[in-house]
Amino acid sequence: MFEQEDDIVERMIQQLRRPVAVDPALDARVLQAITAPRPSQRSVWPWLAAAALLGALTIWRPWSRGSAADRPDTLQFVLVAPQANSVSLVGDFNDWDPKRSPMRTANGIWAAVVQLAPGRYRYAFLVNGVEWRADPGAPAARDDEFGTPSSVVTVGGKGS
Amino acid sequence: MILAVLLIAAQVAAQDPRLDRLDPDTRAQVRVVVDSARRIGLPAEPLIQRALEGATKGAPGPRIVTAVRRLSADLGTAHAALGDGASVPELEAGVAALRAGATPEVLAKLHSVRRPPLTMALSVLADLVASGVPADSAAVAVLALAPKARDADLVEFRRAVERDIALGAPPAAATSVRVNAGADVLNAASPPPGPALPRRP
Repeated sequence: MFEQEDDIVERMIQQLRRPVAVDPALDARVLQAITAPRPSQRSVWPWLAAAALLGALTIWRPWSRGSAADRPDTLQFVLVAPQANSVSLVGDFNDWDPKRSPMRTANGIWAAVVQLAPGRYRYAFLVNGVEWRADPGAPAARDDEFGTPSSVVTVGGKGS
Repeated sequence: MILAVLLIAAQVAAQDPRLDRLDPDTRAQVRVVVDSARRIGLPAEPLIQRALEGATKGAPGPRIVTAVRRLSADLGTAHAALGDGASVPELEAGVAALRAGATPEVLAKLHSVRRPPLTMALSVLADLVASGVPADSAAVAVLALAPKARDADLVEFRRAVERDIALGAPPAAATSVRVNAGADVLNAASPPPGPALPRRP
């Protein structure tokens, strides 16, 4: 039994050791294939460059960077004035026009929501059309040259 | 031809209809200041807004003109310190910082250590002084934080100092402590993203 297996193995070895008939022109064909220009590979580079550019633009997003700095922020201004009949929000963002931003009330809490572009704005509340009040929840404007209190709000460009 | 068009455009802009809320004499003087500011490259809008504030608050004409002239001069100082590339909000915030007691050198230094926009950094400086912090302490604090802090970090810093002052801390000491804890502020976790609600000033 083992002798039969040895014969099989021996025949396989001989078969493998048998010289293979190689085409004499094979070397020349291989060399030609290696050295010849490959048009399909050259045309890949523009696509790779375009893909790299697209990837960089997707990560960097210059179109959204420019607009992020100018993106308006939504702010809510609130004043507690239970006795007031009317309160207006006036400031640099509405040409100091009391008619532009009337505030709405609920149980004496007056509120208005406005969108502001990045910047620093002076503002105040006009109560009942005659009384000027600063925002107690915001920094005070130091330069009140007109004798009434004002507040300031700063809207940052990005990350604010 | 181009010069004529530019001159006409400048004249039309100087005759901003919003200024019709001023009495004729005050309006004429304010227009002169606005026109002069435009000619040297300063923004007109802050000057117009200051005049409108005076008109709405019922201030006398001479006081309005004085306020607009003073603002124009301060815008010029801020422009010189912050450079030609400064935006209108940066110039306005620069004026606030100057009026709070910061020197033009502080503005220039801030310009050199922080990437624009500088609006928030300059505003925080001014607002700290308004809270009672000495101007030099506020300037040192903002300059120390400016290179790395985001706008949101600076706002949080200002709020923290204001809280400490409200709780009884001396303003200069509160500022110093919060600057030293700046790393903690900068490393504080951002609030989780949620629905876009209007924020408070």
